[in-house]
Amino acid sequence: MADVRLCGVRKSFGRVAVIHSVDLDIRDGEFLVFVGPSGCGKSTLLRLIAGLEEVTAGDIVIGGVRVTDLPPARRGIAMVFQSYALYPHMSVYENMAFGLTLARTARETVDERVRAAARTLQIEGLLDRRPRELSGGQRQRVAIGRAIVREPKVFLFDEPLSNLDAGLRGQMRLEIARLKEELGATMVYVTHDQVEAMTLATRIAVLQGGRVEQVGAPLDLYERPANRFVAAFIGSPAMNFLEAEVVAVPEARGVAVRLPGGALVTVPVDAAGAPPGTRVALGVRPEHIVAPDAADAVVEGRVFAVERLGAEAYCHVRLGNGQAIVSRVAGDAPVRTGEAMSLGIVGRTVHLFDGDGVALSRLD
Amino acid sequence: MTDARPLSLPRQRRRMAWLFLLPALAALALVAGWPLARTVWFSLTDATLATLDGYVILGLANYYWLALDPVWWRAVWNTAVFAAVSVALETVLGLAIALMLNARMLGRGVLRAVVLIPWAIPTVVSAQMWGWMFHDLYGVVNAVLLSLGIIGEPQAWTADPDLALPAVIAVDVWKSTPFMALLILAALQLVPREVHEAARIDGVNPVKVFFRVTLPLIRPALMVAVIFRLLDALRVFDLMYVLTGNSRSTMSMSVYARQYLIDFQDVGYGSAAATFLVLVIALVVVVAITAGRVRLGAEARP
Amino acid sequence: MRARRALAGLGYWLLAAVVAFYSAFPFAWAVISSLKTGSALFRVEPWPTDPTLDNYAAIFREQAFGWNILTSLTVATASVTVSLALAATAAYALGRVAFRGRGLVLLTVLGVSMFPQVAVLSGLFEVIRRLGLYNNPGALILSYMIFTLPFTVWVLTTFMRELPRELEEAAMVDGATPWIILTRVFLPLMGPALAATGLLSFIAAWNEFLFALTFTLTDTRRTVPVAIALMTGASQFELPWGRIMAASVVVTLPLVALVLMFQRRIVSGLTAGAVKG
Repeated sequence: MADVRLCGVRKSFGRVAVIHSVDLDIRDGEFLVFVGPSGCGKSTLLRLIAGLEEVTAGDIVIGGVRVTDLPPARRGIAMVFQSYALYPHMSVYENMAFGLTLARTARETVDERVRAAARTLQIEGLLDRRPRELSGGQRQRVAIGRAIVREPKVFLFDEPLSNLDAGLRGQMRLEIARLKEELGATMVYVTHDQVEAMTLATRIAVLQGGRVEQVGAPLDLYERPANRFVAAFIGSPAMNFLEAEVVAVPEARGVAVRLPGGALVTVPVDAAGAPPGTRVALGVRPEHIVAPDAADAVVEGRVFAVERLGAEAYCHVRLGNGQAIVSRVAGDAPVRTGEAMSLGIVGRTVHLFDGDGVALSRLD
Repeated sequence: MTDARPLSLPRQRRRMAWLFLLPALAALALVAGWPLARTVWFSLTDATLATLDGYVILGLANYYWLALDPVWWRAVWNTAVFAAVSVALETVLGLAIALMLNARMLGRGVLRAVVLIPWAIPTVVSAQMWGWMFHDLYGVVNAVLLSLGIIGEPQAWTADPDLALPAVIAVDVWKSTPFMALLILAALQLVPREVHEAARIDGVNPVKVFFRVTLPLIRPALMVAVIFRLLDALRVFDLMYVLTGNSRSTMSMSVYARQYLIDFQDVGYGSAAATFLVLVIALVVVVAITAGRVRLGAEARP
Repeated sequence: MRARRALAGLGYWLLAAVVAFYSAFPFAWAVISSLKTGSALFRVEPWPTDPTLDNYAAIFREQAFGWNILTSLTVATASVTVSLALAATAAYALGRVAFRGRGLVLLTVLGVSMFPQVAVLSGLFEVIRRLGLYNNPGALILSYMIFTLPFTVWVLTTFMRELPRELEEAAMVDGATPWIILTRVFLPLMGPALAATGLLSFIAAWNEFLFALTFTLTDTRRTVPVAIALMTGASQFELPWGRIMAASVVVTLPLVALVLMFQRRIVSGLTAGAVKG
């Protein structure tokens, strides 16, 4: 088990910079998830840690050892690929044993480790089968088993659940969570699915355009996004953004802004750099919009669509200034399209972002 | 600080790649590169088979004598006629057979298997089999043609200077048509069936469908097959040598070159002939590539 | 309508019969002729009045044909094996590593396959003599590289390119060197490709004539094509055709059987090489 440190890591393919100077400390035993939209560089970053790509600049240190120049096999890592990458002509046993066999490990040791891993993953009955005889979920487990057998310092997962159907994905998510507890190993996990990120991670690193936008525990990212991008990426449906203007700065209590429609609300954030007159974006999550009588301020609009999911429903409301807002309501709420609707905003649950998209730091 | 590492991953892989290539490249250099260079070199000398080391540089003299030899030009003519006629016939026949194999009729699997037989037989064996069939006294071809009244007396198919080249062409057509048919069949099977079905629904005459629709669609693959067969035909040796020996009325450029190299032991002169053949082939390749590129360019322009 | 369909069907069958007859007759005639000896060869008839296997016995007894077959087998097998080994190694580099000059190498390899054999004859002769391989099967095993290598390299490179990258990366993480990746991960997956190219190369090597004619001297060292081309009769005055036909049949029967058995593989191998090229 070990920590992983990325120091000033940069990666360019020819003249195209794909990773722009990433500094990251992954602690021993942590489950860190790289998440972000397609093309953000999360897979590339994982492959740089693995040694499958070479850094253009910077260093990677695993367990105190500088591995930047070492090939993958000598870095103490193991990787689970998106397509599982099992050797088709070998049995499950041979697949899992391959790395150790190449390293000329004693046969008893190999056997011990393979069977132990098989037991952990509950695939002992499959050891003699070929990959083509297995289901997707089973192949997934064998791929994980192959990684476990290597007894690596760090486990690397490259979107391992993307190829599974939704039902299986939920099941395997629990499996991976269980493994996380059982093995207690350092794991770096890449996914584009923020549900996986939120449920599995001890910390999440949100990436965009080759840069780390924010690193933190899942709830931290949810409650204190550092910028608009992270705020919009985490949470589903995405956060709503309203155009607002700073009106006053009541001492030590935050910033008062005027909402579309004229209502005022005070948000407990640091007023530095946001004097009255500054235009800001007010971010409010659909689940934080309340009934008018429980709110600090209200915006008016007209419902133009209602999506009912059974347990909850989402109202799409168009405000006076033309902007569309999503609000979460009870599944059986008697809302109809065309109706007028008042949306309640609570100052404590919203966020303010300046002109560059950076969040104003919270006071609470 | 960029690629300062001595054993960077991409550089390692590139070195490994060249290492892996080395055996094959070395073999090819030994078997093809060096001998070709030697041949060109010898063509400028008067080397003989017995004295490959002791020779005098003659410059382009061998080529001069080559250009003056009517037997050489006959050989060039033979090769050109052989290549043009046999490839043309093979293409047409191959097209016909491919169309037959493509049609969804019963028994086409058997037909495909039978059609492969000529291709499976070694060229030398084909030459001998047909040589026997063409035998002037006891051959079956003469016997059948005589009994049908098509010819008045037995013909010396392989000896008569007027009949020998056609006879050689006939054998090559028999032998190589299956290859063409298979390549054309592969191209035909890539044509989506909906194209033909649409034409049939429109009630278009099948012959017109073939010329206006099918042929243009398979033309690229057809051209590739024709070029490859053409290059093979220009290099022909086995067929002529076994069927008609060193006879002047059929000898190809390869036969001529070998005769001088091995039989007459005149390595200098024979190498000149061989080099000339290489140049002819290179010319055909260049023409084919430029013609192909020109056509692709013309089609790309709107 | 149905009458026209029936007529078309009949026409097809007739045409097919003609094509089949045209393709198969020469071989059938060779078989018939091989069963005749002496004066029977002078008669042209659909089936010999006195079929005999004398010719077959004679070629083995008097003409060392058994040796010729053995030589051909040895040469073809060895050259295919060496060729596949060299080509698979080269194909790994050409198919999976991007390096400067790769296009040029592929073009050169393709170019070699267009050489006329006669153009390398004198140079090869010199090399073979210097290596002391004249009249030795080794000379042929070596020189056959000139046509087996380009073909196998080209086709195997195409197949290597198709193998998934993540498989190679998983092996790298497992600590496999490129050689191990080639031999223990990729080659086991390329069985069909190796079989197809191996078969086609074997046939090409078996049929080769010019080099075999030029680089061998004694009867026992000759390959089958050369033996058949130079075959003589029992005496100076007897027609050798019966024996030649017998030898032809002996050689052709297994080849035809092989081709018919593997026709689908062969067709795919041929079209892979030509269409993709």
